[in-house]
Amino acid sequence: MVDSKHQWKAWLYLLPAIILLLVFTVWPIINTVRMSFTVYWDETDVAGYDENGMPLTDENGKVLWGRYKGYSIAEELGGEREFEFGLNNFKEVVKTDGFWQIMKNTVILCILTVPISTFLALLIAVCLNAIRPLRRLLQTIFFLPYVTNSIAIGMVFAAMFNIVGVNPSNLDQSTSLGIINAVLGWFGADPINWINQGSTYGANIAVMVIYIVWNALPFKILILLGGLQSVNKQYYDAAKVDSTPKWRVFTRVTVPLLSPMIAYVVITGFIGGFKEYTSIVGIFGEKMQPPGASVGVPRLQTMVGYIYDNLGNAEGIASAAAIILFALIFVVTLINLWVSKKKTHY
Amino acid sequence: MKKILAVLLLVAMCVASLTFIGCEDKHKTTTEAPTTEADINTKPVEYAVPENGYDGSEVTITFSHTMNAEYQKVLDKYIKEFNKLYPKITIEHAQVGGYDEVRDQIKTELTAGNQPNIAYCYPDHVALYNVAKAVVPLNSFIDSQIEVTDANGNKTILGLTEEQKADFITAFYEEGAVFDKAGTMYTLPMSKSTEVIYYNKDFFTKHNLTVPTTWEEMKALCKKIKEIDPNCIPLGYDSEANWFITMCEQYGSDYTSAEKGKYFLFNNDTNKAFVKEFRSWYEAGYLTTQELYGGYTSGLFTELSGKRSYMSIGSTGGAIHQRPAADDDGYAFDVGIAPIPQVNPEAGKAISQGPSLCIFDNPNKQEVVASWLFVEFLTTNKEFQAAFSMTSGYMPVIKSVDQVDAYKNFLAGANGGSNIQALAVKVAREMSDLYFVSPAFNGSSLARDKVGALMQYCFVQQTSNVDAMIDEAFKNAVKACYDGQ
Amino acid sequence: MSKEMKVLTEKDLQQVTSRQKVTKVVSQVLLYLFLCTMALIIIFPFYWMIISSLKDLAEYRLSTPTLFPREIHWYNYVKAFQKAELLNLFKNTLIVGIVSTILSLIITIITAFAFARLEFKGKNALFAALLATMMIPGELFTITNFITITKLGWYKSDDPIKGYAVLIVPFLVSVFYIYLLRQNFLQIPNELYLAAKVDGTSDFKYLCKVMIPLSLPTLISITILKMMGSWNSYVWPRLVAHKDFYLITNGLRSAFTDAGSGEADIPVQMAAVAVVSAPLFLVFIFLRKYIMKGVSRSGIKG
Repeated sequence: MVDSKHQWKAWLYLLPAIILLLVFTVWPIINTVRMSFTVYWDETDVAGYDENGMPLTDENGKVLWGRYKGYSIAEELGGEREFEFGLNNFKEVVKTDGFWQIMKNTVILCILTVPISTFLALLIAVCLNAIRPLRRLLQTIFFLPYVTNSIAIGMVFAAMFNIVGVNPSNLDQSTSLGIINAVLGWFGADPINWINQGSTYGANIAVMVIYIVWNALPFKILILLGGLQSVNKQYYDAAKVDSTPKWRVFTRVTVPLLSPMIAYVVITGFIGGFKEYTSIVGIFGEKMQPPGASVGVPRLQTMVGYIYDNLGNAEGIASAAAIILFALIFVVTLINLWVSKKKTHY
Repeated sequence: MKKILAVLLLVAMCVASLTFIGCEDKHKTTTEAPTTEADINTKPVEYAVPENGYDGSEVTITFSHTMNAEYQKVLDKYIKEFNKLYPKITIEHAQVGGYDEVRDQIKTELTAGNQPNIAYCYPDHVALYNVAKAVVPLNSFIDSQIEVTDANGNKTILGLTEEQKADFITAFYEEGAVFDKAGTMYTLPMSKSTEVIYYNKDFFTKHNLTVPTTWEEMKALCKKIKEIDPNCIPLGYDSEANWFITMCEQYGSDYTSAEKGKYFLFNNDTNKAFVKEFRSWYEAGYLTTQELYGGYTSGLFTELSGKRSYMSIGSTGGAIHQRPAADDDGYAFDVGIAPIPQVNPEAGKAISQGPSLCIFDNPNKQEVVASWLFVEFLTTNKEFQAAFSMTSGYMPVIKSVDQVDAYKNFLAGANGGSNIQALAVKVAREMSDLYFVSPAFNGSSLARDKVGALMQYCFVQQTSNVDAMIDEAFKNAVKACYDGQ
Repeated sequence: MSKEMKVLTEKDLQQVTSRQKVTKVVSQVLLYLFLCTMALIIIFPFYWMIISSLKDLAEYRLSTPTLFPREIHWYNYVKAFQKAELLNLFKNTLIVGIVSTILSLIITIITAFAFARLEFKGKNALFAALLATMMIPGELFTITNFITITKLGWYKSDDPIKGYAVLIVPFLVSVFYIYLLRQNFLQIPNELYLAAKVDGTSDFKYLCKVMIPLSLPTLISITILKMMGSWNSYVWPRLVAHKDFYLITNGLRSAFTDAGSGEADIPVQMAAVAVVSAPLFLVFIFLRKYIMKGVSRSGIKG
């Protein structure tokens, strides 16, 4: 069957894809690894700085010179650097104050958004599955957020939470408090400074959680509903005969039967959570924080944002960060798979 | 399949991490201060100018800038003038965006070697490009006595004549030589601006207010204005970073230095004190800034009702934005322009900004020479400098513009309405003794960003212990500068 | 509970059924109540976007927001088109979307065909390697692709061909689409292929005449997802495209965060957002089935 003519033909079919993949996928992987482990020794720079921003000294008070720096294209072009293999880029990423802020943001967003959105989606999917009239219409409505542009709708959310003419110390002096605060006001709640200057980290995160959950629901509902519809009706009939209470059916029948799909949406949710970027840009703009929220790394910075920030400046650092991101996603996915293997019933 | 891959990857990771543990750092830190070329050179860096200068060959020069359509009209007109002298040099120019975009784009283009020949630049951009040794040092051109012949048969020297050199406003010219100890010139100034205070003249006259010359007077004035119109924010200061840097300069306190290992010096008590003071102004509702307001504060200044401001500190280059909308009776109010307030009016300081021009090296030396001819033309041609200033509101960089009649008329017609640019230029030119520039090094733009962020941060933080918050913020800002370097 | 059932009398059973009926009605009401509340929450941002875009600035700034504009102002849309240069952005997005979809479809089809029907050495290993790349986050590619396109001279090029190429070429091959289509191709019975071989039909003809028509639904799903991709892409064009070739999302964000625009005119901003969202909604309404199928398939088989 396999003759050389066929071989040749098959490769011809594959050629465009292979060339493009080599250039834009395989080479980037190799090159990213290379850049992330490439450093150079800069003897003309001081060894480091103390916390007051003064150069590090030896015990005699003499300034210490020389330190490792990460690969950068500009330095390579300058032509005077001897590059060598080293781990400094990774150390640098982990060492920056910002890294822990980024990890904190990522973990908080994942831990809040994934369970909330999965639970809500499950509830909605089960309810949708239990009704007949209006089902298609509601299904369409629930899918709407999927076909939107996350930056565009982010701007809508920002407008809803925005306080016009904000005065952080006295919100009542502001021109307009925004629709969300107005709605809260109907219930007698005090206005909250959600996203403007002087707003708290908690308020910012709350807005992000609401937006991300809103954005993540359609995909999850779709998958879970699809799962529900393919579940064998027999199980439910059996439950009906037993007249098992609804809640019991939900926890004892529905959830176990859906567990592969739930595992899937949880895993993709975590992966998405680690790669969060555009939804934050949508609400806070490319500054990734309310004005004046931080002097160092932006308050809502994420790993992806950090990678882009270093691009075109410190490519070695950016590459190291990309690899760390990959490793994190990899580990979290493995953990997820491991947990779901214990809990899922195929 | 996926399982196998996962296992393989894990194994690879383990192997990799094991190798790392085994490897040790090759270099060690020393206490011997290093010396670099730029440190030991006492003579400016030289550039091998082709012996015959411009040989009349056909070359195309690319020029990246930030000029809007209006400015480009002026540029196009004078490119035609230039081509009358050198018809075989084609100039292609393009607006890239703002200054930061020009910098980012060229930084990337350098990696591929497709950078433009000439670019708008700020000193810190040049420091950045010079990491890749891409900018042509200009001394060899400036001093060149090589003869060139233009299309009219006139012979001139390639370099600058003594007359031309003396024509430059000294402070602007010297900005080109801040990059090393030897004073190598890397840029020539193109057009300059400074910060001034725009005030609502009608309001000031009506309430019998005087324009403040010191920050103390400013505070008293803000208080007074706030009493007249409790709904207003008396003062808008556009650039937080400029404000911080200017205050350092006015107090004589440290900001940055170009000396290795002592780059970021702004964490000191004087600076903390003024930030704390201005924070109290912000809390009292006296002022806002561009970031905190969410747009250029000129927007607030030109409002006619509701939340508005009566003073706005911004660039002279943006004068037309500080003018309120016009109706049938003319502009809604008359704008006054004055120098910014000072700490010590006897030794005033105001920031000098605005683009300079730098030339990028190119394998084709004729392109470099042709670029020099064009840069020389733009910076020393008084008609162009005058025309560009009249359109943009930027200051010319040479004194001889005063000989141009149109320019004399322009300045004579200065007012706070239809000719607001002229007024801005006039005030700015009277301030020429006050100008300063901050040190340029690779990372100086980072310091700018961070002190700007620092001001914002210290203003909006809600805390009971202001001093501790400010201490912490300054520390973090310095740290962020080093981290990002 | 089942133990109790056994000793129930008939009367009890009747009671149970009527009680069940009541609970059923109540639970149905609760279900609808819950679903409708959720649907309202989901749809509210869209509603707010549209009504805000029809208000004038003064009304928008009222301290108690109005839920419906007192007076409808269309001029926000006019302003949005001017301010964000929406027409040019639309044009760019359409060009990039259409060209990249067509090219990507061609490549996906022939590659999937080779993997599904042709025999060659190392086929399975190659396919596995392809699938492996799917695990790597795209951000990892961005860094080097950024360098590559710079070296190609495509970085922020104002030349139309290079300007568009930079947005199209790096994303032409999607392993996921190849995978999706290959699975679809594999479902087409092999007998058809062998019969065609016997008839002397060439591979290419068979591909065009049999396989493509049979997998049309998948191809439509791919088309829509790809178009949506270019509609939504933000980061890459922002990094490498010349301003003249920005895609819709970039223009949207930058038009309203550019310094100098003064305090954001949110009604105009919302008008621009509405205009940008409209085409996606239209596509969704008409092709709902394919989109949902495409998305859910990516779910179940991933």
